[in-house]
This record gives sequence, structure tokens and C-alpha cells, in this order.
Amino acid sequence: MAAEGTLRPGGGAAQLALNMKLLGHHELAGFGGVGEGLNMQKAKDGRRILWMAHESAPKNFTAVDVTDPRNPKMVVQTDLPHNDVRSNSLDVVGDIMAVAYQTKKWGLKPAGMDLFDISTPEKPKLISHFDASGPSSRGAHCVFFVDGEYVHLTSGSADFEPTHPKDDQFYRIIDVRNPSKPTEVGRWWYPGTRKGDSAPPPPRHPRFDGGYRPHNTNSYPQKPDRVYIGYIDGGVWILDISNKAKPRPVGHLQYSPPYNGFSHTVLPLIERGYLIVSDECVRDNGEDWPKLTWVVDARVESNLVPIATFPLPPAEVFTKRGGRYGSHNLHENQPGPCSFRSETLIFGTYFNGGVRAFDVSNPLQPKEAGYFVPATPKLAPKGSAQINDVWVDEKRIVYAVDRFGGGLYTLETTF
Amino acid sequence: MPESPAATRDALAGLIPVSIITGFLGAGKTTLVNRLLKRPEMNRVAVIVNELGEIGVDNELVQVSSEQMMLLNNGCLCCVLRGDLQETLRDLFVKRRNGEIIDYDRVVIETTGLADPAPVMQTLLTDSLLRDQYRLDCVVTLVDAVNAPGQLTQFSEPVKQVALADRLVVTKSDLVAEQTLSDLTERLREINPRAPLRNATDGEIELAFLVDVGLRRTHADLEEVERWLGTDEEHEHGHRHDENVQTFALRFDQPMSWAAFTQCMDVLTALRGPDLLRVKGLVNVEGKAGPMVVQGVQHLFHPPLELAAWPSADRSTRLVFITRGIPKQIVADLFAAIGAIGSK
Repeated sequence: MAAEGTLRPGGGAAQLALNMKLLGHHELAGFGGVGEGLNMQKAKDGRRILWMAHESAPKNFTAVDVTDPRNPKMVVQTDLPHNDVRSNSLDVVGDIMAVAYQTKKWGLKPAGMDLFDISTPEKPKLISHFDASGPSSRGAHCVFFVDGEYVHLTSGSADFEPTHPKDDQFYRIIDVRNPSKPTEVGRWWYPGTRKGDSAPPPPRHPRFDGGYRPHNTNSYPQKPDRVYIGYIDGGVWILDISNKAKPRPVGHLQYSPPYNGFSHTVLPLIERGYLIVSDECVRDNGEDWPKLTWVVDARVESNLVPIATFPLPPAEVFTKRGGRYGSHNLHENQPGPCSFRSETLIFGTYFNGGVRAFDVSNPLQPKEAGYFVPATPKLAPKGSAQINDVWVDEKRIVYAVDRFGGGLYTLETTF
Repeated sequence: MPESPAATRDALAGLIPVSIITGFLGAGKTTLVNRLLKRPEMNRVAVIVNELGEIGVDNELVQVSSEQMMLLNNGCLCCVLRGDLQETLRDLFVKRRNGEIIDYDRVVIETTGLADPAPVMQTLLTDSLLRDQYRLDCVVTLVDAVNAPGQLTQFSEPVKQVALADRLVVTKSDLVAEQTLSDLTERLREINPRAPLRNATDGEIELAFLVDVGLRRTHADLEEVERWLGTDEEHEHGHRHDENVQTFALRFDQPMSWAAFTQCMDVLTALRGPDLLRVKGLVNVEGKAGPMVVQGVQHLFHPPLELAAWPSADRSTRLVFITRGIPKQIVADLFAAIGAIGSK
């Protein structure tokens, strides 16, 4: 029976959709909690394999054959060595996959990054491990690896002692041209976050101290001298990495406070000179609302100007649907044969707001193009779907994953 | 790096189609809507009616209801017109987005008997929220075979309703003599030669006749364009009874500048806006790959949008005009004077 005041079968927890149609659903063998690592491989035999890093232990990563998106088939699912580590993030270039490892506590192992040979998707073979453990390190949270040469890594290290325990990760450039021997070639951190810095430690966010760490560190082959970083409470940074040994800041945008921090992904629209910046909602029930997706004018890198935010459905409705509601991951226009790329159509995930698409043809007035909010998955701990990350393939098929039990949803768009 | 195919949004494909059902008092709109509501293909259709009380659905057909709306077992949402149509359509979209009602993907509006359909059509052009979410799909005019012959002579509203229609449905045809029916059909053809016409007895008509008339995507093919615009082998009738309403098509083989086209339309709307009942068509604009789609109701025009490609080798501008007392030659002369182009 519908909840009072709704005219919808099953009430407010039923599926919501506009211009997106569900093609398939896979619960990933009961381990349907996926983090923010999604990437698609075109295997040598022609199969299209979607690789997913899990949000938390016990599973490491899962691969699903999505050649027929209506009928996804699991190819492999791997385990972590213990429950105090999570993989969370991965990227794929050709037949090489990078996977991040972050531990729950400082000093544990494995903490860092693995490189796998996935030429036979059923049997990923470990090529090497890049160790980033240390007394003040939890290892790596996020990888960005698209050119086959360098991994842009968010990680701690044995030689990095932060001025605040939450600021333990920084930006590292890892040369993987010889995948057997990953080597750091450059690094940058927010001034004042490392002991011994001449700059004073940055001020903590007055309400939600998320820390000063990079989250996504995106760098694209068509603009190899730039990396775009969401630095959590440190805002948005653009670094010049033409000399990888010495990254140099060229642009910075800080909008928190008054906003609630946790700048997450900075997606550059390289041809048009804009950035799409997503925050991450990290609290349930709207406690840290608003967590937005911003359009930032970056035509002058040294003067980043927020000009719009994406139109999201009303917080007063969605913050009551259970769990988190607000921005999180974006599809990041990755290079590669199975990736959608657009300077005007942006896909993002909004936890209980599902996966949503926006048209930014007019950057001053982004418009909603479509959305899909799954019905509450079985045994959902938050009482709602919590869509965590999204991949869009070159045919504009959308792959959205749930943070907890919902698994993978494959969708087609009709806009 | 080149973008993947389909990297941009189709300006039409994501919009929710709206069909307007109009007709003079007693034409059988409520009967038709009542019949339509119960059909299985009405799943995910929101129907806006004047009064819920007039909807004759049995309790067992109703899944959930509130004062303003009811959800039928077949998935059709029935909603009462609240305040004005603009407010009702906005409210429906907001409720849909909030998850308070079903994800309807089509709207059918029953207008009141006296309504001039033009303002209803204009609502979809003037409100920016509505324009971003909805598109006019089809105007369906119901014509009562018993009373229409008199009404069409006595009143101006029924003539306008017929003139603006994309589809004509003659009701109560079983109650009149064959000759009366054929005279009426002839009369309707004179007012509106382009709209397909069907007879319906007791409100029975299939949804397919009432929908998917307007352009659904910018990659429209020839069949879709012709369904929307009508084909050209039109019988442009002599106007025996209704000299006042005129439907005609203009063709221009040469591309024109957008400035020349808009100047022509500006002059027409400024001088004769109320008489320019409806304009629709494709314009070959110099320098554009695809045709520009033009749709207007009296003085209001939809913002122009470009189709991805021409639907066939024929690249001439095709414009259909439905006017009150503006003859074809006047409009053709205006285009010739302003655009220095000749029509065929």
C-alpha cells in the first residue's frame, strides 16, 4: 500500500525514473556494496568487462561481463586479506588495472596500490605492489590512471608525517611505465599539512572536519600538464605538472566555509574551460546538506569562479528518504574505448537521489536531463538505495552502483 | 579528443508529450476520457480532467486516491485541474520528481467545453519550467455529429477548435443520417484539411490515434515529420462555408536567412497575431545542416530548434499556416517582399 500522501505503488521507496530505463541488475553474489572505482575493459576477445572496487571488506574487486547490458554476468570476485583494509578505487588501461588499498588504522598493511594483469579477466595476475604504508599512513584512497604511464594517486607514505592525523594523504605521481617497478616521480601537498612546513596548518572546518587530503586527482592525455584535484576541505586545486617532479599550483577555489567541505571530484571540460566539481555528502539524513555539484568557470585558471550548481530535487524530501542524500561521484570523461565523453552531458551520483544526468550546454543554467533512483534494495541498511558511483559507456549505457547491498544497475537513456 | 556519439542531449527526446483533448460542450470529451482511462495502454499516463466526480471508475479499479488525484490499477494517474493548467502541470512534475506520484511519461488534458485550445497550447510555450519538461504532442478535437453542424455556424469557438486540431474525432456518428455525417465531414475538411479524422461511437478510440504526432526527437525521419506536418498532396479546398479559416502550405526551395524568416513572422504576428491560429513547419536556414523546427500558436512561438539532419532529399522550407482570414497570397507576398524569395 502506498504511503500516506503518495500516489505511487509501494510508496516513496519505489523506483523513480525520468529518461532512464532499467536494463539489468546484478547483486554481485550478495556483495553488492561498491566503492568509487569503476572502469570498463574491452577484453582481447571482444567482451566488455566492468571492473568494480568494493566499498569495504571482505571483497576486493568484482568484474562483470556487460557485453549484453540486459544480462550482466559475473566473471570474477576477489577477497581482501583482512577486514581492516578496503580497496574502494580502481582504474583500467588496456589490460592493466590499478587498485588502491586503504587501511582503517595508521600503520597497517597492505596500504598502497596493486597493479594487475587482467588480460584474462577470469584470472587477474598481480604484477606488483606499491607500498605506501607507514606509521602515519593509511595507504591509498584513490587512483586515477588513464594513460598507461602514470598513476595519479591519493596516498600517504612512510616519510610523510601530517600536522593533523586527518591530513595523512597527499598527491603522488607514480611512474608505472615499467609496471613491475612503480616509482614515485613527484608529489604535492596542501601547504601546512606536513610537519616541518613553513606554512601554518590550515584551519579546520568549523562544523564538519573532513580533513585536508586529495580525493580525486584527474589528469587527461589531451592536457597532460594539468591535474585537477578535489582536496576535501581544501577545496579545488589545479596544478601544473609539466615538470612532474615539481607540481606547481595554478588555480585554487575554496568555498567552505560557508559551505560544508568535502570537495570530491574536479572534472574539467577541457575544450570549454569549465570545471564540474562535486562535493561528497558524508552524513546521513541531510546533516551536512547542501552537498552540491558546481559549475566553475575556469577560463582563467588563476581566478576560478563558481557560476551555477546542478538542479537537485528538494532536500526536504530526499533527506527524509534514509541514508545520505547529496552529491558524490561523476562519470569522468575517461579516455578509452568504452568510455562516454561529453563536454555538455554530465552524469553524477547522489546516494538516495540515485544517478542523475545534467545538460550543461548553457553553463549558467544546468538542466536536469534524466534520473534513476532504484527501489530500496533488499535489506538496505539505510532504508534506501545509496547510489555511489557511475560509469557511462560510449553508447551512453549507464552503469550505476550502490554503496551497500544494491549492486550494479545497467540503464539506457532516452534523452 | 573526439567525443563519443550521442554526447549531447536531444532537445526533444527527453520531453514529456502532452495531448490536448478539446471539443465543444456535449461533444463527448468526458465519455472518451472515461473509456480511455481504463485501457491497459494508459499505464504511466497522467490525465488531467475537469472534475474527478465525473470520472466513472469503479472502486475496484482505483489503487490509491486523494482529493485531487487517483491512481488506477492499470497505472493511469487521474488528476483534477487545480487552479489553472500551468499550476497543475508544474505541480505534477514536482510531485513526480519527489516520488509522490507515478513516473508518468505522457500527459492527456481534457479541456473545458468552452475552452479556446490556443491558450492551453500557449501554456506549454510560455512557462519556462513547462517548456523544459513537456512538449505539445497533439491537439485532438471532438466533434459532435448531432450538434456540430449548428454549433459551427453559430459559434466561433468550435471552428477554432477544429482549425487547431492535429486529429479530429467525430462522436455520436451513429445517431445521424449518413448524409448529415458526410456533409459534416466535408465541412470539417474545409476548415482543417490536414488533420486525420476518425469516427468514434460511445467514446471508443485507441490511444495510438491520439498520440505520437509531434516531433519526438531531433533525429526525426520522414515518416515522423509527415505525421506531424501532414503530407503535401493536400486538397486545398475552396472555402465555401468557412472562408474565415484557411489552411495552406508554403514551400520555398531556396534557403533563407534566419533574420528574414523571423522578420516575416514578426510582421505577421504584430499585425495579425490573433488570426495566425497555428504555424508549424521546417525552415531551410542558410548555413544550417538540419532544418529549423518552427511551431507557433497565434503570437507565441516555441524557441527554434534545429533537427540533426533533413529527413529526406527534399530540403525546401515547408510551412503550414492555419489562419483566420489571412489568405495564402498575402503571406507569400510578405515572404517575397522581406526575404526576396518566391514561394511555390
